[in-house]
Amino acid sequence: MLPLLRRMQSRLDATPHLLRLGRLVSETVLLKVGEAEYYLVFEKGRLAEILPGPSRKTPWRFAIKTDAEALAEFWKPRPRPGFHDVFGLVTIGRATIEGDILALVKNLRFFKEFLALPREEAFA
Amino acid sequence: MSAIEPITGRYVTVEVEGAPRRIYFEEAGAGRPVLCLHTAGADTRQWRHLMNDAEVTKDHRLIAFDMPWHGKSLPPEGFETEEYLLTTEAYVATVLAVVEALGLDRPILAGCSMGGRIALQLAALRPEVFSGFIAIEASDFQPAWYDIDWFHRPDAHGGEMGAALVSANISPYAPKAERWNTLWMFMASGPGVFRGDLSFYTRDDSLIGRLGRIDTARAPVHILVGAYDLTCTPEDARRTAAAIPGATLAVMEELGHFPMSEHPEGFRPFFLDALTRMRVPAEALK
Repeated sequence: MLPLLRRMQSRLDATPHLLRLGRLVSETVLLKVGEAEYYLVFEKGRLAEILPGPSRKTPWRFAIKTDAEALAEFWKPRPRPGFHDVFGLVTIGRATIEGDILALVKNLRFFKEFLALPREEAFA
Repeated sequence: MSAIEPITGRYVTVEVEGAPRRIYFEEAGAGRPVLCLHTAGADTRQWRHLMNDAEVTKDHRLIAFDMPWHGKSLPPEGFETEEYLLTTEAYVATVLAVVEALGLDRPILAGCSMGGRIALQLAALRPEVFSGFIAIEASDFQPAWYDIDWFHRPDAHGGEMGAALVSANISPYAPKAERWNTLWMFMASGPGVFRGDLSFYTRDDSLIGRLGRIDTARAPVHILVGAYDLTCTPEDARRTAAAIPGATLAVMEELGHFPMSEHPEGFRPFFLDALTRMRVPAEALK
């Protein structure tokens, strides 16, 4: 997962419209995949750091908790219904969102498109 | 081929709840009238592909209108101090006022999402006004899985948040250009309008108890639902169809919550099929 997150980090840097959408986003997001934790530290729309957890010292604004199998389907070009969106994963019981959900919603397009970067042809 | 489309737009002023509403409506085609209702937070543009479809308009007159507060229909005088909260009563009154003002003789009523919900309400409450109901992404009731107050606040853009939320309901099979055209309407909606629509859609459960009284022998009811719709799921639509004696249902495997707008080519066979299901026995019209 860590190499893939690093590829997402570099794809974000190469995606000008996302950097523009995220220019006010300076938040730490916890991504939990199975038992593995990754703290994604965003600074002005860039993913400044990826800190593998677990950590009890790293504060986060919101957390997305899911599993590797669900993410693999989510990242397909045409996922099955429910796996096609992060809120879809929540509604089918394959993810939870915890913490300050409004911070996610205020920047929802930015975070959704960041999370979907591995779907893009340019990602491969 | 001319680049000018066959759709024409005009305005009509009707009275709803004792006050005038200036309504924008579009139409195309000739024949049996089909009145089309847009979803929450959007407008008539959602119907543009079907209105430009000669196969549909050769024997149907499609009419779509922008609800007050939406698209090119202004909000009523005094809106600046009013909290916009759509109600079943106001929605029913607006649809009926448009039918009367345009002189539509027992049109088919086609509505999507909240438009599908009100189509089913009208099937129960005023069946004599219509000759059939195409209820798209329509169901009895779903409470919100989100906080509708997110979408009207001074520190963030309600339209952009609303668009990002509803993008969850668009199928990955939708062509990219039409996905974004569909989202643009939400991005451009007036402040608080999506929230006010959702108030109706996610809080008013009065349809549940009325479904059993819908008489599909008099006016057929066909429900269409996209497999990628998280808001009105196939399960919601099946439950609703099962509660209406004689209602039919089609699940559209590659479509989402805005089928006529997000994926016009994918939707058109389902809509053409729905129109053929709207044939009413002559005795039912007497």
